[in-house]
Amino acid sequence: MATPDDARETPYARAIPRPTAGPLVAAFGVAMLFAGIVTNVGASVVGAVALVFGGVIWFREVMPDEAVEPIEATGGQTVVTPPPLPARDAPSRRLLLPVEIHPYRAGLVGGLAGGAAMAVVAAAWGLVEHGSVWLPINLLAGAVNPGMAAMGEPELAAFDGGWIAIAVGIHAALSIMTGLLFTVALPMMPRRPMLFGVVVAPVILSSLSWSTMGIVNPAMEEFISWPWFVGSQIAFGAVCGAVISRVEKVPTMAALSTSERLGIEQSEVGS
Amino acid sequence: MTTLPTTPAETVADRRAEPLSARLHLWAITVDHKRLGIMYVLSGLVFFLVGGLEASAMRAQLARPGNDLVSPEVFNQLFTMHGTTMVFLVGMPVLLGMGNYLIPLMIGARDMAFPRLNAFGFWLFLFGGLLLYYSYIGAQGLYGTSAAPDVGWFAYAPLTDRTFSRGNSTDYWILGIMVSGFGSIATGANLVATILCMRCRGMTLMRMPLMAWMMLVVGVLVLTALGPLTAAQVMLLFDRNLGAHFFDPQEGGSAILWQHFFWFFGHPEVYILILPAFGFVSEIVPTFSRKVIFGYPLMVAATVGIGFISLSVWAHHMFAVGLGPVLDAFFSAMTFMIAVPTGIKIFNWIGTMWGGRIRFASPMLFATGFVAMFVIGGLTGIMLAMVPFDWQVSDSYFVVGHFHYVLFGGTIFAIFGALHYWYPKAVGRMLNETIAKWSFWLLFAGFNLTFFPMHISGLLGMPRRIYTFQPDRGLELWNLLSTAGVPLQAAGVLLIVWNLLRSHRKGAIAGNDPWDAWTLEWATTSPPPEHNFDEPPTVGSRRPLWDLKHPEDPDGRYE
Amino acid sequence: MAATSDATVDPTDGATRRDAVEWRPSRGKVGVASLIAMESFFFGTFIVAFLFYIGKDVHGPTGATALDVGPVIVWSICLLSSSATVVAAVKALARGAKAAFEFWMGATLLLGGAFVYGTAVEWRGLMLDHELFISTNLFGSTYYGLVGFHAFHVVLGLLALGMIWTLSKLGHLRAVDAEKVELVSWYWHFVDVVWIFVFTSVYLFGTGIL
Repeated sequence: MATPDDARETPYARAIPRPTAGPLVAAFGVAMLFAGIVTNVGASVVGAVALVFGGVIWFREVMPDEAVEPIEATGGQTVVTPPPLPARDAPSRRLLLPVEIHPYRAGLVGGLAGGAAMAVVAAAWGLVEHGSVWLPINLLAGAVNPGMAAMGEPELAAFDGGWIAIAVGIHAALSIMTGLLFTVALPMMPRRPMLFGVVVAPVILSSLSWSTMGIVNPAMEEFISWPWFVGSQIAFGAVCGAVISRVEKVPTMAALSTSERLGIEQSEVGS
Repeated sequence: MTTLPTTPAETVADRRAEPLSARLHLWAITVDHKRLGIMYVLSGLVFFLVGGLEASAMRAQLARPGNDLVSPEVFNQLFTMHGTTMVFLVGMPVLLGMGNYLIPLMIGARDMAFPRLNAFGFWLFLFGGLLLYYSYIGAQGLYGTSAAPDVGWFAYAPLTDRTFSRGNSTDYWILGIMVSGFGSIATGANLVATILCMRCRGMTLMRMPLMAWMMLVVGVLVLTALGPLTAAQVMLLFDRNLGAHFFDPQEGGSAILWQHFFWFFGHPEVYILILPAFGFVSEIVPTFSRKVIFGYPLMVAATVGIGFISLSVWAHHMFAVGLGPVLDAFFSAMTFMIAVPTGIKIFNWIGTMWGGRIRFASPMLFATGFVAMFVIGGLTGIMLAMVPFDWQVSDSYFVVGHFHYVLFGGTIFAIFGALHYWYPKAVGRMLNETIAKWSFWLLFAGFNLTFFPMHISGLLGMPRRIYTFQPDRGLELWNLLSTAGVPLQAAGVLLIVWNLLRSHRKGAIAGNDPWDAWTLEWATTSPPPEHNFDEPPTVGSRRPLWDLKHPEDPDGRYE
Repeated sequence: MAATSDATVDPTDGATRRDAVEWRPSRGKVGVASLIAMESFFFGTFIVAFLFYIGKDVHGPTGATALDVGPVIVWSICLLSSSATVVAAVKALARGAKAAFEFWMGATLLLGGAFVYGTAVEWRGLMLDHELFISTNLFGSTYYGLVGFHAFHVVLGLLALGMIWTLSKLGHLRAVDAEKVELVSWYWHFVDVVWIFVFTSVYLFGTGIL
């Protein structure tokens, strides 16, 4: 039999609480106590009496020690004990999805390569339609300078070192981010990476830009040529997708525990 | 264990053999979490039928313009009692009751931390609900007739003032909700203590079933939200009965303060109602997809995140009162933010289903129905978080459509999924799968038919809480469609009730583990013995039953 | 992670089970902490209402004209020092010093009782001299609401402590019950801490001192 100290440490380790009418009577008392406010003061009196009565029953159940009943074993399947962990290289039938992933490094490189391809297309647009490679660069910087929408075309077509630095920064950050998204999204279409890169992603990104351009970058909204823009997106998607799908996949670490993935070594437990 | 029963006659088996009156007496004095859980769910279902009747009466009244099936006064009572019933007497008790039944089983405990407090909480809820409904007989209304409360479930000041709400029906609302609220507080504290203190050996916090995590956060939210509600209700009670002026604008009191107090309770309450539903779905989806839950740690983090953020979004219910740009922007931003952890959960359920071997048994049908409907409700919620949009549709049927997608398409679908999933455990017999599928599709079709058109009638300008509408505003079709969905939903609900009743005697024997599931409650017999487990279990992973069934490939290695 | 080799045979029934029990927080402590958390939000709501309504009265009396801080400071010292005496009482009970326990618990009861008496005197003055009732104005509503609920909680605490004291006098209290008494003392500390917030709101902000 367990000692009282055990009982305190793990409640109901070998017993279950004994049924009692205390809570029911006390709850009825509380309800009547309040019901008296809207009905009759007599109800409150009854409620107060019931509350005290129920409280006393309740108190005697838990004081000085909790009233409990022993457990009757039912013979049901109720023992659950974990098996020892097998060795790490033991065979497993489980399928861990995804099995292999593109490394994030691929997204970084692919994003930068795609960004370069996109920049080439954009520069070509500037040269062909407006006679200046600086125009697309300055327009991109317009994302952080709302006043740019008020500038005229000659100003926007001129060289400006500060704007170039800002535009390159924005473009590199967005390219890397998109490249990383590609690495995550590409395994969803494992058989047709180029379909994703050349069609799906440009359509999604172009429509996203089209619907938000007026808010994000009003200056660009004024000049933008959507066919060229979609072309630049396709250039990005094609190059980025091609780079990523050529980098060798690495096995996912889904088979490892969180602590192992975090690099915290743990001892092998079990027999 | 120091006090042993005095006579062996009081032991469990002897009690079971006694006649009906004695068995009912046992239900009345029980402190067993399973019996209390069943009583919670059953009384919640009864209140659900009553609340559903009230809703049906409202839809019948709104079926065509200029209808006079019910009077404006009765209509006000109907929407007040419908909302109050569904939130306080259906949602909370059924969800807390499910938690009551399942949590000790899931964490390998014999009972809740405070079994007597648990019984106290249940009886308070029941008596509080009965007190509220006694208002139909006992309360004095406007013209000295008996009347139910008619001030809306949020009871906005100053309409609740003695001046505008004559008689004492509003006092019934205050007292009924307050008494059942005491019960919720008791159960909330009990859940927190149970989950923190009663876990079996090996059940670390990060090995608990996700449902236990959700109920832990729910317990904390109950503790934080119900205190302010009770305080505000006490103030209102003082205003009405002792002549105090807390919410009396004529004496400098503020009606807006009531709104702040009420929604400081009211929005966490929404998460109290949806988090357990998330818990049910997080248990059902893995079992029927035959995969572990995707991203367990992230699900836990999202749950805790929702708990925190839900305490600072309340004023998005109040954009239309004119809080000023700073508060509007803050609460709008916080509301957008809470969509992030909620979205994480949606993606993780989809991630769990992705590539799984999905079995569309009835619990899974309800769970997938939940995910789809909740996404719609969540998206309209994000629309409503935008202040300018909210100004346009605030207090319109668009809002009614939104929160019914969340609370009916969300919570109630998840509750029915959970009922179908755990019924075999609680009763020992399976529900009839054919009836279950019929009830799901009827409910699903009826639900969408009723509530989707509400978005349109709301955008067309139909306000909430009106007892009728004009014929030439283009609202006829949408209201007729909404009403047409009611019989389908009623048929679905009645089929479920019938299924619950008939399977109690006629269902196939379930066995311990009919779904081949992985959490601890399936390790014991169906129904479980009074003490749950002969020996306190020990767990080594999040899926103890997987470990038991596959000792050569246990889960512990992958967590 | 799952170390599974520490199963032993229980000598009492021969069953195999784990020899040690993993640490879990005490359910009593978690339960009382939950109650205190809920009550904090309850009082917080009343305090917010009080602070929000300062200066919004359309007519007096207000805190600045009606409240007298001097005697309240004395009664407050009584209440706050009772936190120290209750700690001394719990410590005495834990080491089995019954007489010391009853002395310190008695002191707690007296100090708490003095505080309730102080509140009663203050209310009598407000009602007779200033004609301030709960229905008089916003200050009356918020003041009696907040201070009244605090006094109500002090009375509940006194009832619980008084019951413990009586049990001890009747010889029903053992040293092992010190944990239960400690839980009641947590509640008592909570009531004291709430008073610090109530005092600051009502007698410092409410009177215009701060």
